[in-house]
Amino acid sequence: MTTMSAAADGQPVPPRRSKRTEILENRPVNLDGFVEEWPEVGMVAMDSPYDPEPSLRVSDGVIVEMDGRPRAEFDFLDQFIADHSIDVAAAPAAMARSAVEIAHLLVNPQVSRDEVLAVSRGLTPAKLLEVVKTMNVVEMMMALQKMRARRTPANQAHSTSARDNPVQVAADAAEAALRGFRELETTLGVVRYAPLVAIALQVGAQTGKPGVLTQCALEEATELELGMRGITGYAETISVYGTEPVFCDGDDTPWSKAFLASAYASRGIKMRFTSGTGSEVQMGNAEGKSMLYLEIRCILVTKGAGVQGLQNGSISCIGVPGAVPAGIRAVLAENLIASTVDLECASGNDQSFSHSDMRRTARLLPQLLPGTDFVCSGYSGVPNYDNMFAGSNLDPEDYDDWNVIQRDLQVDGALRHVPEAEILAARGRAARALQGVFDYLGLPPITDREIEAVTYAHGSEDLPFRDVLEDLKGAQSVMDRGITGLDIVKGLEAGGFSDIAETLLGVLRHRVSGDLLHTSAILTPELTTLSAVNDANDYAGPGTGYRPTGARWEEMKRLRHVVSARNPEEEVG
Amino acid sequence: MTANDLDPRHDYPLATRRPELLRTPTGKTLDEITMAAVLAGEVTAEDLRITGDTLRLQAQIAESADRPQVGQNFRRAAELTALPDEKVLAIYNALRPRAATKQQLLDIAAELERDYAATLCAGLVREAAAVYERRDILAP
Repeated sequence: MTTMSAAADGQPVPPRRSKRTEILENRPVNLDGFVEEWPEVGMVAMDSPYDPEPSLRVSDGVIVEMDGRPRAEFDFLDQFIADHSIDVAAAPAAMARSAVEIAHLLVNPQVSRDEVLAVSRGLTPAKLLEVVKTMNVVEMMMALQKMRARRTPANQAHSTSARDNPVQVAADAAEAALRGFRELETTLGVVRYAPLVAIALQVGAQTGKPGVLTQCALEEATELELGMRGITGYAETISVYGTEPVFCDGDDTPWSKAFLASAYASRGIKMRFTSGTGSEVQMGNAEGKSMLYLEIRCILVTKGAGVQGLQNGSISCIGVPGAVPAGIRAVLAENLIASTVDLECASGNDQSFSHSDMRRTARLLPQLLPGTDFVCSGYSGVPNYDNMFAGSNLDPEDYDDWNVIQRDLQVDGALRHVPEAEILAARGRAARALQGVFDYLGLPPITDREIEAVTYAHGSEDLPFRDVLEDLKGAQSVMDRGITGLDIVKGLEAGGFSDIAETLLGVLRHRVSGDLLHTSAILTPELTTLSAVNDANDYAGPGTGYRPTGARWEEMKRLRHVVSARNPEEEVG
Repeated sequence: MTANDLDPRHDYPLATRRPELLRTPTGKTLDEITMAAVLAGEVTAEDLRITGDTLRLQAQIAESADRPQVGQNFRRAAELTALPDEKVLAIYNALRPRAATKQQLLDIAAELERDYAATLCAGLVREAAAVYERRDILAP
């Protein structure tokens, strides 16, 4: 306790501060934003008095009432969910079970994933919310371990540049692929740069490790066009929202998005939707519902559209649930619910939301420990200042910590330590391969000086400037000339990079089969498809399911500095 | 090219387990998509696309794996393989809020059925027209 005292001249002296308080005040976590709940506007994670009670009435095979609303009052989300997402045959029995009973099915490892799906297919949004409200984060992680669609966890990274520098994007893509990411995502500061950056991402990815799938996050129609040309491999930022006004503000409806999903599939291109808690309140129209209730509507729209998967876990709105109580619990719940309705889940951890390293890790563990289809969506493969998604929860400066945590806990986060020499070789080769492609396509040249710089660089501040106007003209010509992925293949071959050319052709060839369209599909480095169809999660308790062992565990044991047991003066390679 | 009763356990991935069922839109097999053929100009971007038949096979796989909505998505996609890229993009844009009148959407549905036999997609568009009218998000 401090009290005001008077100085000799009668002026009040400020109360004496605790030295410990000063230290705590200056902790990074106190730079984060925290706000009290305000349920009336939707500023509440999962516990709102205004969320509806679960209910369901079916008449002649049609849902005529859902979560307290009669059909005549359905907004377009209600109607889409009622008519496309919920299995009407399974619903009455499923809805008759108590929330706690269903939660037990989720948590109990001896109840199979298929048994859970037989129930979850008949549940309404409010019922799914009620189920997860009975679960704490440990129970949710147990459930997620079982409900993840693909048996083997994977990971996704960002490769972007504050200058939209394609050489940098290629080099960081190669390094990220080498470190273990199986999907890579880019985006632009200047959208007209997209063709060059998307080409760079594709070339860099295949240089680093064959079979990495690439995407370029743009406005919907442009992203589809790049995909149709085979310059990118998949699409993710196909957004859905949890209230009708916000969906319309996002310039889409469940029907336009469902059509877009089929459009992608019609060209053999993998895609998933994106949603996340907090988007509706951030966009100013949460209709007084909790963040998680609205997110569950998004999850079921995804299901109803027949889309194989969803990126969620708040995503770019993470600051919003992050600000309110139980927000990060809600974020785990949304990943769990996506998996519980049999969707692939690319589970966030992709946006910076905290100044505190402890808090960043605490936010990560609920996805890392049980494993998800993509633990991060994505991890920043470039320094924070270069990340054009405004920064991720993890970035290259965290690589060694990540690998140590994998080794400490024997948990597979899909990454590995790579010695510097290998990284330099991959970065340099990716830049050279892109140099050859740009030369073949008549694009502004990449100089040997740039290649040298990008090999050893950490970020764009370490690189020479490119002629942006010339690059933009080149980017426009890529679109005007109808350049496709096949031209990139030819450019790689012409540049003397036959193995990378062959790899990219192999990736493009997969479009013919459509194997990659299925739930949680990725390509192995041998270019075979691994998905929830042929790598189904079979977790059923201790001793079962995916566990890192054998060669993979040996790989996870390697770090930057590990001392020899027999000779502590030496480090093991 | 169809096959009855595809079993996800034995037939997926199609590219590895049942490549003989797969063709490009120009009738080539996967084996014919080689670097030599690309460099000789025998393989073009047209060959790196999926056919409606293949999408229906993948729909069967999805349905056998108890993913009926995914199967429906693939069956709509099979219909859309017949449409040129520009038309697909135009229909997507017309389905956005306040982008088309009810009549324009109904005309799109009729065209899908009449010209492309795309009955599932036509159904989706008609459904959208009705909901958009009820929720007042058609173009004025």
